[in-house]
Amino acid sequence: MSRRRWAALTVLTLTVTAAACGGGGGNAAPSPGRTLSSGTPLPKGDIDAFTWVSYAEPPTLDYVHAFDYPQNMVLSNVCESLMRWTPELKEEPGLAEKYEQRDPKTLVYTIRKGVKFHSGAEMTADDVVASLNRHLDEKVGSYWISTFRNVESITKTGPMEVTVTFKQPDALFNLEMGASPGTVASAASLQAKGKAFGTADGGLDCTGPFKLGTWTKGQSIRLDRFDGYWGDRARSGKVTFTFVPDAAARTNALVTGEADGSWMVPAASVARLRSSGAGTVHGGPNLTTANLIVSDLKNGTLADVRVRRALSLAIDRQGLAKAAFGDYSSPSLVPGPTESWRNVGAAKPPAPAVTRDVEAAKKLVAEAGAQGKKIVIATTNTGPEMSVISNAVQAAAQEIGLAAEVRTIAPDAYTALFSDPEARKGIDLFPTFWYLSATDPLELYGLFQTGQFENYGGFSDPAYDKLVAAAEVEFDRVKRAQLTAELQATVATQLPWIPLADLDNVMFIGKRVTGAPTSISYLYYPWAADIGAAG
Amino acid sequence: MGRGHRRGWMMARFLLRRLGGMVAILGAASFLVFGALQLAPGDPASFLLSGRSATPEAIAAVRAQYRFDDPAPVQYLHWIGGVLTGDFGRSVQFRTDVGGLIAARVPVTLTLIGMAFVLTMVLGLAFGVWSATRPGVVDKAVLVGSSVAVATPSFVLGFVLIAVFSVNLGWFPSIGAGQGLADRLHHLTLPAVALALTFAGVLARVSRSAMLEQLGQEYVTVARGRGVPERTIVRRHVLRGAMTVTLTYGGLLVPGLLVSTVLVETTFGVNGLGQLLQYSVTVKDFPVVQALTLLTVAVFVVANLAVDLLAPLADPRVRLGARD
Repeated sequence: MSRRRWAALTVLTLTVTAAACGGGGGNAAPSPGRTLSSGTPLPKGDIDAFTWVSYAEPPTLDYVHAFDYPQNMVLSNVCESLMRWTPELKEEPGLAEKYEQRDPKTLVYTIRKGVKFHSGAEMTADDVVASLNRHLDEKVGSYWISTFRNVESITKTGPMEVTVTFKQPDALFNLEMGASPGTVASAASLQAKGKAFGTADGGLDCTGPFKLGTWTKGQSIRLDRFDGYWGDRARSGKVTFTFVPDAAARTNALVTGEADGSWMVPAASVARLRSSGAGTVHGGPNLTTANLIVSDLKNGTLADVRVRRALSLAIDRQGLAKAAFGDYSSPSLVPGPTESWRNVGAAKPPAPAVTRDVEAAKKLVAEAGAQGKKIVIATTNTGPEMSVISNAVQAAAQEIGLAAEVRTIAPDAYTALFSDPEARKGIDLFPTFWYLSATDPLELYGLFQTGQFENYGGFSDPAYDKLVAAAEVEFDRVKRAQLTAELQATVATQLPWIPLADLDNVMFIGKRVTGAPTSISYLYYPWAADIGAAG
Repeated sequence: MGRGHRRGWMMARFLLRRLGGMVAILGAASFLVFGALQLAPGDPASFLLSGRSATPEAIAAVRAQYRFDDPAPVQYLHWIGGVLTGDFGRSVQFRTDVGGLIAARVPVTLTLIGMAFVLTMVLGLAFGVWSATRPGVVDKAVLVGSSVAVATPSFVLGFVLIAVFSVNLGWFPSIGAGQGLADRLHHLTLPAVALALTFAGVLARVSRSAMLEQLGQEYVTVARGRGVPERTIVRRHVLRGAMTVTLTYGGLLVPGLLVSTVLVETTFGVNGLGQLLQYSVTVKDFPVVQALTLLTVAVFVVANLAVDLLAPLADPRVRLGARD
């Protein structure tokens, strides 16, 4: 199972300014500016080229290390996976024309015929086996290793057939073959390029609608249309990605038309982009939420669930969401994104109403005997959202009688919180933005199983573990979702994470071009191929 | 022994001594840079694998690949040995050769610094001379103007320039470094102006006082008494005397501009060395930070030497190495 986190850098670049977090409370009403669009209008014709602006240069385009927005938004157009995540966030066959779950421990992929790599060679089962097995090689250090944790072997069982056998059944594995773990590159190029594979020096050889053109280090990456593509031909001849870390500079580029579009538009830029008349801001379906991770559920003030509940009750989520994320967000009391249930409508549990009750919170603190006890909230100065969150949480904690300290740490120290238990010592809470790479809420709730790598606070509940285990072997989506709904209910009351807000996928597209999906699918779906002339 | 001969020998001795000093400074700097980064808290390996469910084997593989487990002196020797052979190591973040990473950004930053240097020297000198030779309104105006220029941070100026010349007038692009010479100069004009103005303000003041000092010298009074035209006095004598100060400032200007590019490159979305440094510090990309810091020290040292070599040419009264 794989879970993704907004890297520190993402946050660094999100916004320039944010208003202070206001008071208020009471029952939530949906925020007025929040209307999700399903896509942008279809293009009227082809174009020669367009430019997209990103907040950072991809460190590498090797799919085993493609675990963040800058690399995935580029790579999704160049390299393809066995399955495909559609703009509607559904899964469909990709480089595998079909799959068959022969039994709970055997998954067989039939590889699509006639698919050519950018080098001209035809894709075979050997390429699939070589590409997938790289994740299992410790020396490669794949970021997606957890997706493969139940895998016994990946072998070629025919010229166009690959069989994955499992140590134990894994119902999410096939969904995740639509993301980076399922990427297929040519075995020959993997062999030939070695360590340079996917870097600016080495390049890559995949099957996508665009091939890697010129990668000018530090400046831009240009993709060129691949004429031998097996699917629909790209509408644009070239795509140029430029890298502009500064949010204000990025907004200028969009306002002046120097760039045609961007994902992850900072909340602070939305008003300016709207009023510029240079294009349209869209809020699309997303699988990202903002949460507070409780570092340690066994020691410290927050080890008592009553104190966690009290803090959760006291946070002004309305004000926080508005100040930190603007219109394209809504306060939430569950850590799983609402859109992760979109393919299992019937099984989706009703979202608890967002309420705030400071008096009840004070009572809980008194009951727990926690008045005056200390909590430390870690934050980092990479972007205003982080400090808006930590200030709001500090205010809430102080209001209910806890002694709350905000500790600002360096970006790399913040990042280390996610991998190093030592780094989490002395810290009670830290904010995170978490996104899923498959449209299934179990991808998030599975991580609170005892002993999971991302189970940072050490949440442990035998009944919960049993439910996760049952959900992971449940191949029927709706039944799995029903089990996951029970998990969500437990998490929402036990609070190993304290949920804050559900965030939309905010994009901007200029007047000249159209056709891009608005959903987070852009991380794995070849979205740039859909963009063409607007008029 | 002819005079020229002796001078040549002096020059060689001076150069040797300075080169030895340069090597010593760079060696000490390399040691300090390396040591400072060792002492900094945080682990590049944890950044590389941050939040990703890594097995202990994968973490060990990364640490081995970047030699994080070797004792510090061994790491230092390995690094400095590489530097001496032109190998600056591999970037942790970009997983490529550091030399290549820096080389790709040098042309952009060099062009930016070059443009800013020329602008600073031309504007700074012109206003300095103008102000020194025209007491009264002109002098006061230049003094006020240069104070404003000095006090305005380059990134603030950058925002103003973008708002006026990119967004409103549309004359210049607001981001990027452009492709090809003409396009690059077009792209880098606003950043260069933003970068140059502060320094030009300082230079205007420095050259103004140097000129006034020279104008107050006895030989100027004598020359005036002999009826030498004021223009000739200024051009032949005063300017020459003021040149040493200006040159010294020019020498300090290059490294100053290099350091200041961090902010300007960020404002204008120019991916040069400044932005690379800022990013690498954030993500603890040790090999890149080490190489860039060493490069900055080297630029300082070389610029200083250049000033010492040029000063006697500008004003023969200055002896070689007199600034030591």
